[in-house]
Amino acid sequence: MRETWVVGAASNRFGKMKESTREAATRVSLEAIRSAGLEPKDIDYTFVSNAFGISEHQAHIGPLINGGLGIPEVPSATVESACSSSSAGLHEAFVHVAGGFADAVLVVGAEKLSHLDTLAATSYFAIAADYPFETKNGATFPGLYATLASAYQHKFPTRPEMFGSIAIKNHANAARNPHAHFQKEISMETYLASPMIASPLRLYDCCPFSDGAAAVVVAAKEAMPAPASEPLVVRASVRTGSITEMQDRPDLLGLPASRAAAEKAFRQARLGPKEIDFLEVHDCFTIAEVMALEDLGFFPRGTAGAEELEGTTARDGKLPVNPSGGLKAKGHPVSATGASQVVEVFEQFNGLAKGREVPRTGTALTHNVGATGGSCSVHIFARR
Amino acid sequence: MPADELPAAPHTVADWFRGYEENGRLRGFRCAHCGLVTATWGLACPRCGRSEYVDRDLPPTGAVVAYTILSVPGDDFLNDAPYAYVVVELDGGGRVTGWMPTVRDPTQLAIGDRVRFHPGYKPGVQFVKESDAGTSA
Repeated sequence: MRETWVVGAASNRFGKMKESTREAATRVSLEAIRSAGLEPKDIDYTFVSNAFGISEHQAHIGPLINGGLGIPEVPSATVESACSSSSAGLHEAFVHVAGGFADAVLVVGAEKLSHLDTLAATSYFAIAADYPFETKNGATFPGLYATLASAYQHKFPTRPEMFGSIAIKNHANAARNPHAHFQKEISMETYLASPMIASPLRLYDCCPFSDGAAAVVVAAKEAMPAPASEPLVVRASVRTGSITEMQDRPDLLGLPASRAAAEKAFRQARLGPKEIDFLEVHDCFTIAEVMALEDLGFFPRGTAGAEELEGTTARDGKLPVNPSGGLKAKGHPVSATGASQVVEVFEQFNGLAKGREVPRTGTALTHNVGATGGSCSVHIFARR
Repeated sequence: MPADELPAAPHTVADWFRGYEENGRLRGFRCAHCGLVTATWGLACPRCGRSEYVDRDLPPTGAVVAYTILSVPGDDFLNDAPYAYVVVELDGGGRVTGWMPTVRDPTQLAIGDRVRFHPGYKPGVQFVKESDAGTSA
């Protein structure tokens, strides 16, 4: 296997995009390629993610992006894995580069849902669950994660302030991130006063519907004799799957795919949780951050909520979690999210995360979940 | 391999819908190899991987193992919110997800509460609290 790096990264501002997915994806792709000191002609393959492209009446978007970059002859493929689409694309890029099938690969994810109303957007999200066995019975994404939260709270006493502290932390981080959808801090009072969306999850427990685009460039070390930015060495690139339907999971206290991905990733990286300096985890809802930190092995089951409340996961805490603001406050343009987590690691490693720097940037882990855990990606990065 | 050697599911997804919408049955599968009972369609058991499913009607009663009261629905449930979305452990094994049109507040339901499958004119698998069965929805 060849040593593989992330050599470039870029994101637009999440929130509401005036331009189409195709335009935004092409623009961030060019920016990511340039940040690597490369030009589009240096790209051997493009993996594109746009899970809800159907909402813009556009499939097969990869050739349009490559065409717009002036490299129509470069092959592309669409990678769809619900909310973990572009981290799945990153894994495909890693496989191509590490395996010697390509020297430089572009990974781009983008989504646009703001032209839809809440009802339509909620309905689009819900088709990523199991339609006959979940969606048809009334499930929505907040509903599914709220159902997991109820099982968790039944087993482990969880004060609303524990979930609230996650929302407050991630909003505070996002307020310092120019790519973030929400750039305002919130208080516990605001959190507690926000309406229930799906009990026990309030409005401020939920990530927003965001538009956005993010891209990264993956390249072989041997193809990059003089990288333009500090590269992220890919120490682990892992994908896992698990039973999608909650009705068939014996254990509802976490996501089995996250647990499996973490175990494999730490083994692949030859690192343990104590050696990770900061994390970007999949916090589509506050309960998802709690479960992620426990599934990934950073805290014992049932204890992450208390750690959050004590500030362990703050930007200047012992284990900074989601310094970007996470899905919760940076926003969650479904297919852009996985790549966007890596953009944050790239900016932290390169001193570009002005005003939201974490104390140590030697290693980082990114964790991205598809739907309620039918798919999961974990990547571990380190400095050269 | 020739098509006649492929394993067959004892019933289809369409049969599942017809089962509860028209006949008041919750159809499911039992893995003859490991004993797993599930409602979810498949050609092989997600626990042991064997293709030995046989038809099994699921019991209509059970207990809630997880739930939420959903205030912001998708388009099929536009006029039904708030309602409970539940995961139910059925008596004798197997779990099924469904919804409860008459439960509209978190204080009306608790984990462990007994519920009964209650076919209705609305979409999806509907449950009512066992204590209310026959009197509502």
